[in-house]
Amino acid sequence: MIKRRTILGAGAGAVLASGAGLASQANAQDMNRWGTDGPSGLGQRTDTEGEVYPPGTLAPRGRFGRMERLPTLELESRQNFLRSFRTWVNMSLSAKAAERSNQVLRENDLPIDAEIPEARALELLMNEPLPQTASRAWLSSQQLMWNGLREEFEGRVEKYLGEMEAVDNYGGILELNPELDIPKYARHEIHIMPGGYVESPVAGHLYHYGTNGFYMGRNDNDEIHIGAARRMAIPADGKVKRILDLGTGVGQFAMALKERFPDAEVWGIDAGGPMVRYAHLVSTERKLEVNFAQRMAEDTKFPDNYFDLVTSYIMFHEVDPEATRKIMHEAYRITRPGGVFYPIDFNTLDNPPRTAYQQYRSYMDHRWNCEPWTPKWRACNPQQLIRDAGFDLNTEGPVALPRFGVLNATKPA
Amino acid sequence: MDSESHINGRPTYGTAAIKAETDAAVFMGNPHIDNLITIVIALGAEIWESRQRMLIMERLLEKHGRVTEEMIEQYVASDEEADLWEAKKAAMTERVYSVLARDTSGAKPFNSPFPY
Repeated sequence: MIKRRTILGAGAGAVLASGAGLASQANAQDMNRWGTDGPSGLGQRTDTEGEVYPPGTLAPRGRFGRMERLPTLELESRQNFLRSFRTWVNMSLSAKAAERSNQVLRENDLPIDAEIPEARALELLMNEPLPQTASRAWLSSQQLMWNGLREEFEGRVEKYLGEMEAVDNYGGILELNPELDIPKYARHEIHIMPGGYVESPVAGHLYHYGTNGFYMGRNDNDEIHIGAARRMAIPADGKVKRILDLGTGVGQFAMALKERFPDAEVWGIDAGGPMVRYAHLVSTERKLEVNFAQRMAEDTKFPDNYFDLVTSYIMFHEVDPEATRKIMHEAYRITRPGGVFYPIDFNTLDNPPRTAYQQYRSYMDHRWNCEPWTPKWRACNPQQLIRDAGFDLNTEGPVALPRFGVLNATKPA
Repeated sequence: MDSESHINGRPTYGTAAIKAETDAAVFMGNPHIDNLITIVIALGAEIWESRQRMLIMERLLEKHGRVTEEMIEQYVASDEEADLWEAKKAAMTERVYSVLARDTSGAKPFNSPFPY
């Protein structure tokens, strides 16, 4: 049984591939080194390769399912508390804030079941203690969550860099491009994640552990990504040999698609180099040969008509309108005739009227949780953009991700 | 760190981000009140960390009659224990923080007239 951190003692240097197909494939012997089991038993400080952990440090703490446990109980306990607190804020405290919001509407002779102008909703609620307290508690807990993770991962950054360097040339292709010109729209600190998806060398670590908190315990083993992959639409002819996941982040959806289509050539691309580098680390651990590349979704570099299935998992609401239009056209170019394009994202069809409190929360999410482009996504008429790109639009499902949009499309044969 | 792109000469593939302004956000009318809310949440996390450590120590002493730091760090709760801890954590959160959900629309200033 070999644990991930044993590679730290291997002294493997980082030799990065900088072009598709340049990264070496691990041979079977090397791949067998990558066990996925965590340690068992108490007090284990060494592994099959001997003394790895210096005196005064602790051995890895095993896994909860797919996720390696955080390295100390202290950090794990605090993160668990913040996750529970977030759940309480989003359920109990927000429910009280919504009640108070309705009360404010009644006091102002406004309907509670019809949408009022957003500016009016904000004017009414921005000085109300309950909604403001709910927002403060939500964002403070999130800041504390990020700070705790950052202290660990950036505080011991060389250790985590070493883990990634050691597998850069194993498993599927990894393409990193330090010359990539990342546009401004993609460099914001989305979800107030320090450094966004592009800056921190350990952005992937931060994102993976942080967003698991966002899912409030329901996605520790990629359950949501796996469910969406299982429900994903496929071409009418059933042929799925090549798949691309745009804006793949830490590759959870790309890996879930690889698990559904194990014989397919699966790619995940993202603007964030540290994100795809971490995705590669995780996929290598899981012995999933998924290819990851640091590329922009509006310029994927793939040949025309290359993919049977092009997907994205809640990427588009993090993209500005001009890039959205370009990405739709790029998706069309690389999808083969009869192939499917399925961009999972917030629903833009037939949304019910939003309550004043929902509008207030949307604004707070946009302004203070750093979601610069979400309102633009809701307003950009993506269904028309998909048609304009040349696709035949389908709005009837399947529902890949419950409560999200069902827009998907086929490239005419 | 050397820069966003290198640490001690090792490439990180990082690019400078555009910073969010949330650290400067004031929702409670006074930034110090915002800070205090952050502090009480952080203290809750500290308290829970200590409570969980104690729960693990109690269980280890009961099972093994001894306890070391490593035993604590590597302890894996049974499903039953994990459920119990979740319930304790949720109860603590409710007990400590539910006052934040109090409807203050009828709040009275300190110098409001004595009603009786």
